[in-house]
Formats: sequence, C-alpha cells, structure tokens
Amino acid sequence: MWRFAFAMLLMAASLSIRADGTVVDKVYHPIVLPNEHRVEWRFMSRQTEEKNILAQRIGYGQSLSETVTVEFYLLGERDRDDNFGIEAYELESRWMITEQGRYWADWGMVFELEKRHGLDAWEASAGLLMEKEFGRNSLTLNWFSIYEWGNDIQDEWEGEFRMQYRFRWKPQVQPSLELFVGEDFVGIGPALMGIQRFEAQKQLKWELGFISELSGVTKDHTLRFVLEYEF
Amino acid sequence: MDRLMRHFPAFGLWLFAAPIWAEVPAFELVLKDHLFYPAKVEVPSGQKVRLIIHNQDDTPEEFDSFDLNREKVVFPQRKATIYIGPLKPGTYEFFGEFNPHTARGEVIAVEVKDAD
Repeated sequence: MWRFAFAMLLMAASLSIRADGTVVDKVYHPIVLPNEHRVEWRFMSRQTEEKNILAQRIGYGQSLSETVTVEFYLLGERDRDDNFGIEAYELESRWMITEQGRYWADWGMVFELEKRHGLDAWEASAGLLMEKEFGRNSLTLNWFSIYEWGNDIQDEWEGEFRMQYRFRWKPQVQPSLELFVGEDFVGIGPALMGIQRFEAQKQLKWELGFISELSGVTKDHTLRFVLEYEF
Repeated sequence: MDRLMRHFPAFGLWLFAAPIWAEVPAFELVLKDHLFYPAKVEVPSGQKVRLIIHNQDDTPEEFDSFDLNREKVVFPQRKATIYIGPLKPGTYEFFGEFNPHTARGEVIAVEVKDAD
C-alpha cells in the first residue's frame, strides 16, 4: 500500500496540470472486450454563478480486436445564444495493455482526436489508464496529456487527472467517489454506476455523478450522466 | 541524487508493473455443450490463481463474474486464461454470458492450512 501511495505521488507530481474547458467527464477503465458494439450518450450540465454550460455527446464504438476498441462521437453544446448544435467530432481508441488481474494493477491507454465543427481547431490527447482492485473496491486513475492546435485556437499543452474509487456492491448499484483535476479546477463528488445485463452480450450501463468544485468560493457544480448500450 | 533521477523512469515502471515472478497456480476447466466441467472449482484463498478454460464448443462464450470482477471472451475451440484473486475464503459465482442458464459455476476459495 505504501509503495502504491508513493508511486501515486510521483506520478501526480510529474504531471504539469494545465487544462481549460470542461474537466469533468467520464473516468475510463482499461478493460476491452472483443466482439462488442456500443452506442453511448453522455450528458453534462455545469452550473456556475454566471451561467449554465450544457454539453452532450453521442457515440458509436466497436472492438477491433481482443485489446483495441474504437469509437466515434458527435459532440453538441449550447452556445451563448442558447442554441444547441454540433460543436465537435471526436475519434477515440482504447488499448488494453495488460491482461485483467495478471499484474499488480491493470493498465491501458486511450487516444483521442477532436476537431471543432466549422473551425480550424484540433485537439489530440493520450491518456494512461490504471485500475487496481482491493477486494470489492476498485480504484481507477486516468492521466491525460493534451495538445491543442490550429488557426482558431492557441497552440498549447494541457494536462488532466481523473480518479474514481468504486465499491462494487451489486451490479446495478456501484457507488463511487470521483475526483477531477485540471487548470483552475479541482472537483470532487459522489457518483453511482450500474449495469443491467440482458441476453448474450447485450447490456446497459449507466453512470451518474455530481461534482463540486473544491475551492467553494463561488458556485460551480457539474452533473454528469452516461448511458451506454452494448450489443 | 542525479543518479537516482536518471533511473527514475525505470524505478517508476517497477513500482507499477510489479509482475508476478512466481508461477501462478492453474486450475483447468472445460466448456462443452455450454456447461462448465467441473462446475465447482476449489482454489486456495489469499493468493492469485489462473483459471484456464478450454472451450470445446463451436460457438464463443463470455466468462462473466461480478463476484470475481472478470469478463473474458473464450473463442470456440480455443482456451483462455483468467487471473483471479487473491480471494477471501468464500464462494464466487460465474456464468457464460451467451448461455447463462446452463453455463454456470462457482469458484470456492478455501483456506489452506499450513502443513507444519
């Protein structure tokens, strides 16, 4: 346990945390299964003193092999005139590096490429994913390194960190605590995830989280919701 | 200090990867006609073990266990290795996702008494 805590500190210290935009998002797990197809809907509503930011995304993904999966997303956001429209497109790939349970922890990577709709603004990111079991508890950590470029955006490097500590109580109800760190943002809050299996590989997964900015100086709460159907 | 920092990446990798150097005990199961043989597998508690599943059917199966927190596809006429544990003494259910009514089984983790 002490070795783990020490390693966490080293990894966190080596991250140059610098990110803008919305930090609260899904915490990725490193496990990939073959022969899977999925559709996904993510919803995020961030409420501050001044405004409400509403973002949603829908995606379709499928496994390419026993260890690699790819997913395509359409991202939508509400603009300053309160109109909701397409904001960006994203291609994402997850790679399971280690066999589940074989080593002290499970490892994976996630790669994302995003383009803003109608703008010359790009974002590429690489994330290291880790999951460690402690009996019926699971600790999942994501470290992201992000680069933004294009004529309509300032070229810059960013970093993000996400953490989820989950108690696997029953398949449908798995309470967790989530932490998100980015530029000028450290948020923490409770979340709930669950899974309902149907026949064969068909299953419905959901996640619901309520994240509050830690400084607490001004109001800054985010409600996030994910619905994922695998088939 | 410089020397320590030079070796820092390798040290970090060692901290996280920490592979299991010792041989992990293996327990073999056969999947035939959508049934697991044996349906109950006794394994020692408190240590990591491998379940090696030989799928003798002509269709794929997905080993699934919420208790063990494992999911793994076993392709037809192939074998798959599933690493589980260390487990506390107790019974852990598993099933085949494609044939959940027939392909069912239990891993029973038992305390191993020291021979001394």
